[in-house]
Formats: sequence, C-alpha cells, structure tokens
Amino acid sequence: MINIYEAKAKNQQKSLVVVVFFFIFVGLCIYILGRAFAIYTGYEPGGLGFVGIALVISGMMSFTGYYFSDRIILTISGAREADRKKDFNFYTIAENLSLATGLPKPKLYLIEDSAPNAFATGRDPEHAVICATTGLIEKLNRTELEGVIAHEITHIRDYDTRLMSVVSVLVGVVALLGDWFLRVSFRGRRDKGEGNLGAIMIILGLLFAILSPLIAQLIQLAISRRREFMADAGSVEVTRQPDGLISALKKLAADYEPLEAANKATAHLYIINPFKEKGHGSVGIFANLFNTHPPLDERIKALEAMT
Amino acid sequence: MIGYLFLILLAVLIVWVVTTYNFFVSTKARIKAAVQEIGNQLKRQADLIPNLEASTKGYIKHEKGIFEDLTDARKAITGAVESGDVQKMADAANKISSLLPGIKVAVEDNPELKASEVVGKLMEELRDTADKIMYARRLVIDLTADYNVKRVSVPASLVANLFKFSELPGLITPEKGEHIEAKEEELKTPKVDL
Repeated sequence: MINIYEAKAKNQQKSLVVVVFFFIFVGLCIYILGRAFAIYTGYEPGGLGFVGIALVISGMMSFTGYYFSDRIILTISGAREADRKKDFNFYTIAENLSLATGLPKPKLYLIEDSAPNAFATGRDPEHAVICATTGLIEKLNRTELEGVIAHEITHIRDYDTRLMSVVSVLVGVVALLGDWFLRVSFRGRRDKGEGNLGAIMIILGLLFAILSPLIAQLIQLAISRRREFMADAGSVEVTRQPDGLISALKKLAADYEPLEAANKATAHLYIINPFKEKGHGSVGIFANLFNTHPPLDERIKALEAMT
Repeated sequence: MIGYLFLILLAVLIVWVVTTYNFFVSTKARIKAAVQEIGNQLKRQADLIPNLEASTKGYIKHEKGIFEDLTDARKAITGAVESGDVQKMADAANKISSLLPGIKVAVEDNPELKASEVVGKLMEELRDTADKIMYARRLVIDLTADYNVKRVSVPASLVANLFKFSELPGLITPEKGEHIEAKEEELKTPKVDL
C-alpha cells in the first residue's frame, strides 16, 4: 500500500525517466544520422541542413493536428455538445472536477456510440475538450463516471496532448532522416578518403537509419502507457476514491465492443484502447510493447495498491 | 572565462529566485480565489433551498422543524459569505449538510414526493451542490498543502524565509476531537437489514 502522494511522485519520476530517455535517444539518432549525411555529401554542415528540413516537415505535419486538436471532435460524425439538463451527471461532474483542479471547465461532447469510452484533447486547458460516448454515460454510475472524467481532466492538467505532439514530431524527424539516409546510401557516396572514422559513421548511420524509427516509436508508446498510469493516479488524487475508477475499468474491461469513431492517430487519447483486439486483457510482453495503453488488469492492480 | 561562468550562474540564480517567489505569490492569490469560490458555491446552495422548500412544503407538514432549521442555515450562509470568513462559511455549510439526510428521509417517506419529478431533480441538484462545495474546499486544501510544503522544503525555503512568506492555515480543522476518533460502534462492520 502506498499513499496517493507517493504514487503520484513515483509516476512522475517514471514518466520523466522515459521522456528524458526518449529525448536522449532522439538526440543521438539525429547526431549520428546528421554526421553520416555530412560524410556522404562531403560537406560538414550539410548534415544539419537535413535535420532542419526533417524538423520543419515533421513539425508542419504535426502542428495543425496539435494546434487544432480541440477541433478534432468536429470531424467525428454525430458528436454533439453536452447539455446540462440532458446529460446532468456528465456535465456536472466535469464542472465539479474542474473546480477541484482549478482549471477552466473544458468543452464537453458526446458521441452516439454504445462502446463505453472517453477521451480528452486540446492544446492547453483553455482549449480542452472532453468527449464521452453515450455508452459510457449509460453504463457507469456517478462515482465511476467521476473516476473516468477525473482521469481525462488529469490528462488536460498535465498537458499530455502537448507532450505527445512534441514526441510525435520528433519520431517523425527520426523516421524521415532514416528514410532519406537509406535512399542516399543506395546512390553511393561522392566523398572518399574519410578514413576509419568515416566508415564507422556510415555503418552506424545505416544501423540507425534502419532501427531508430522503430525504436523511437516504441519509446513513444512507452511514454503513452506511462501517461495513462499517471492519469490514473491523478484521477485518484482528485476524487480520493480509487474504487470509482477501479470499478469503471472493470466494467470497461468486460465490454468488447470496438469504438467506430476511433482511429490510430487518436487512440492514445482514450481512457482505454478503443480497438480492443487481443491486447485487451493480460498478454505477452511483446504485444504489450506495441500498445498505447497498459493492460487493464495492470492498471487496476496499480489502483488497488493506492489508498 | 571564469567571469562569464559566474555571470551565467548569477543569471540562473536570479531566474530561480524570481520563479520561486512567483510561485508563492501566485499560489497565495489562487488560494484566495479558491476561498471565494467556496463562498460562491455556498451561495448557490443557499439559493437552491427555497426551491426545495416550495416544492415539498405541501407534502411534509409534520416535518416543519426541518424547514425552520434550513432557513436558519440559509441565513447563516448568506451572512458568512458576506463577511468573507472561511471558517464561518465552512461552519454554515456543515449546518446545511447535516440537515440534508433529514430531508432525504422525509422525501423517501412520502411516495407522492418521491414520485414527483421536481423533487427528484432537486435532490440530484443538492447532491451536486454538496459535491461542488466539497471540491471547492479540496482545491483550497490542495493549494495550501502545495504552498506549505514548498515553503518548508529546501531550497525553496530560502526564498520563503527571505521574503517572509508565512504558513497558511487553509481550512481550519481542529486537530483534536470527534472527527479523528472512531467510536467502538463505528469500528464494527455495518449490518443492513432489508
């Protein structure tokens, strides 16, 4: 048994470790691929140029997604704004929890879908959106719903959308650099006589070009899973009722309906993995590596350890 | 070279002192706002009660005492909110929440009342208001805890001492008394007869 403050601190530390590791890894990839590019082109600052171009392209691809992340909801067909009278519990719970965390009340939306799920997005708390499915609201009671909404509010409070956007920009940079490097290396290199160091850099460059996009993506998923644990702990911190979220997760675990509105780009935002393939319950470590969410029984176990 | 290094260190130190100072003053301001929010929520609750009274009065004649108590509590809240005193507000809120179970019983005893949609809605609203006040107080408690913990932990305590930030009381709860003791009958598992 650990108390909630310890649980929170531990989650923050673990998350920080993964995030720092990610940035170091990306830095290393960029350095090595940049150097290898420089050797191929025979022009020392040339490598940096490639990195810059990759950053700009990857940034542009992700920026609109990040900046307008609250509008994502408008692209989901059948989403409607929640109404205080009609969706009394959902509306008032969100109102209460934003009171408890001192955040402005997020915009609330409902998707007509019987698969119980919810997600939060938005670039900052002022532009935050929480979206729940009608299935979630029908299947959970007020205490359970409170646990789920508190989980989403914690995602907003911790700027998770921003973090995941930065991370995906960097994953994009690594992927682009790797791709380009493989392309140029097929053409053969212009420069000769670089000596041993040059040869080593090029072999390293090839290795990184092939492996690093995959590794970067795996670390990205690990960050996503860490943030889920963190949001669970944050939910308990706000509501002080682990039982609410535990029984909500148990109910969600018993439900096998996939969510139609979800796609791969938004999967990490939901309270539980919206696809619900095999990765639903406890599965092997290998399958777990490719999941945006930790297995539900692990999350429940972590919650039960909190008091 | 060493001169530059010294300058950089000095700049970092100044930035750190300024951010720490800003943490203390902004948290103080946020606590003040959070306290006002409690008052705001209590006022909302007080405004809700006349509605409850109006829609239930006809049914619960024999429970007149409850309504008189409620009116008193309502007046206490309005007074406390005007005075802006946290402790008075908290006391007034306790008064109302101790009355709510009585109303609930009265409503449950009256099938007509229970069936009434208006009353059902009002009971929902009352639960929600109670939650709102609880969460508004939670924010004051959390912010004060953040502030007080940072005030005494090294190295932020250096800044706190330098600018004489004092400990904040938050919500005053007596450290001795019934609420932290458990009576013997409370330790037993409750039995429910159906």
